Amino acid sequence: MDAGLQVGIEALNVYCGLAQIPVEAIFAGRGLNEERLANLMMYERSLNLPFEDPVTNAVNAAKPIVDALDPAEKDRIEILITSTESGIDYSKSVASYVHDFLGLNRQCRVIEAKQACYAATGAVQMGAAYVASGISPGAKVLVIATDVSLVDERVDYTEPVMGAGAAAVLVSDRPRILTIDLGAFGTHSFETLDSARPDPTFDIADVDVSLFAYLDCLKHAFLAYRDRVEGTDFASTFDFLVMHTPFAGLVKAGHRKMMREFAGVGVAEIEQDFTRRVLPSLAYGSKVGNLCSGAVYLALASLIDTVQPDTGCRVGLFSYGSGCSSEFFSGVIDQESTAALAGMQIGQHLAGRSALTFDDYKGLLKDNHGCLVPQKDRDVEIGRWSSILDRRTNRRSLLALKAVRNYHRKYEWV
Amino acid sequence: MPISDVSRDAVDLVVRETIAVVLPSIPPGTIDGSKHLRDLGADSVDRVEIILMLLDRLHIDEPMSSLSQLTSIDALVTFLHERCH
Repeated sequence: MDAGLQVGIEALNVYCGLAQIPVEAIFAGRGLNEERLANLMMYERSLNLPFEDPVTNAVNAAKPIVDALDPAEKDRIEILITSTESGIDYSKSVASYVHDFLGLNRQCRVIEAKQACYAATGAVQMGAAYVASGISPGAKVLVIATDVSLVDERVDYTEPVMGAGAAAVLVSDRPRILTIDLGAFGTHSFETLDSARPDPTFDIADVDVSLFAYLDCLKHAFLAYRDRVEGTDFASTFDFLVMHTPFAGLVKAGHRKMMREFAGVGVAEIEQDFTRRVLPSLAYGSKVGNLCSGAVYLALASLIDTVQPDTGCRVGLFSYGSGCSSEFFSGVIDQESTAALAGMQIGQHLAGRSALTFDDYKGLLKDNHGCLVPQKDRDVEIGRWSSILDRRTNRRSLLALKAVRNYHRKYEWV
Repeated sequence: MPISDVSRDAVDLVVRETIAVVLPSIPPGTIDGSKHLRDLGADSVDRVEIILMLLDRLHIDEPMSSLSQLTSIDALVTFLHERCH
């Protein structure tokens, strides 16, 4: 490996649907205890419409990144990995459709990765290793974390905090968003059934098993990182922390746990540290919900757009996926990160989503729960949603699912 | 007092006091040990906080995952008491 080579995230974008519902509206509609809102720290959740699926979410997140590359750069995307727990076929990958609609080179490797909310980070790290290896100098790897939500009232307080959408991450030797600290990582994995999707229509989750596994992994992945990187101190090595965000309140609890164990400071100091180092990463996630394996990259985008760093800042990132697998790694953001991300206008995208009522939301659930169900033939009436599609002026074209014919999904630009 | 000398009653008291710190509306003496923490109104973040405070107060180094499937406060007390020895 070239000692001077820098590797990391060249471009980052998210797509989180055209609609959202306030978390409070789901609490009211389901009769949930509103005293629990404070600990969740969540305000809105993104919703997909019936013409959106894991393919459209992925394409709609990655298209602005790919369009910004010149043809020669675009042809250097040598690996496309979709990370999803919302597969649409046991054999055919989401990536195979995405490859087509992004117009990627036919010499591109096309694969799909699955490990709940962790898989995208595994893919990013493998992509970074491919770039760093030097076996194909100048190569780029496009990782897209894409998912849909299948939850409803059966999962109680998980329902208001599940998101939908995709995060697209372009890994290369031109890391404008995040320069990854190569070799600085710690991983921790063990088998558990904390949450899963045993069927294409519903999720199961044991909240305590999942939260406790997340917190164990946070500690042990960090310890594994510290074993590799001499002198690491949780409280002082990282200017900012970005964590997988099932809901913002869990990130706060995780930070509090780590500060107690590794910094030995009091409640007031922990709160100050949380506000300074962690809270900026939660602004977007608290308006989107759990974006599955894209959540940590949504949090990174939130951090950069909120802080707008004008000098180099080291970020500690923690990725966790049920089942379970996790990783703590790090990288550096700087003023170029601010400039590179600004063009994606993620804040404007989130602010432009249409707010739905609880009745609208309930009407959507049946359609959305059928999103991943294999059907030989079906049609999707995109026009039913024209009021939402047309709400935003100067909206860019988006990919939409229009039909399924003989199990082949058909899409169009709208 | 060495931690190994902690009686089950003492652990039970620590558990009740800790629950009352996180859920101040619940007097320690009214906590029914056959209930789960969620039955007392503890949400998931409250439950995390209670467990973390207990492990800290009792100086127990145990993965949180070991405690995720305890079915009652009594079971939690027994688990913690066993770890004190």
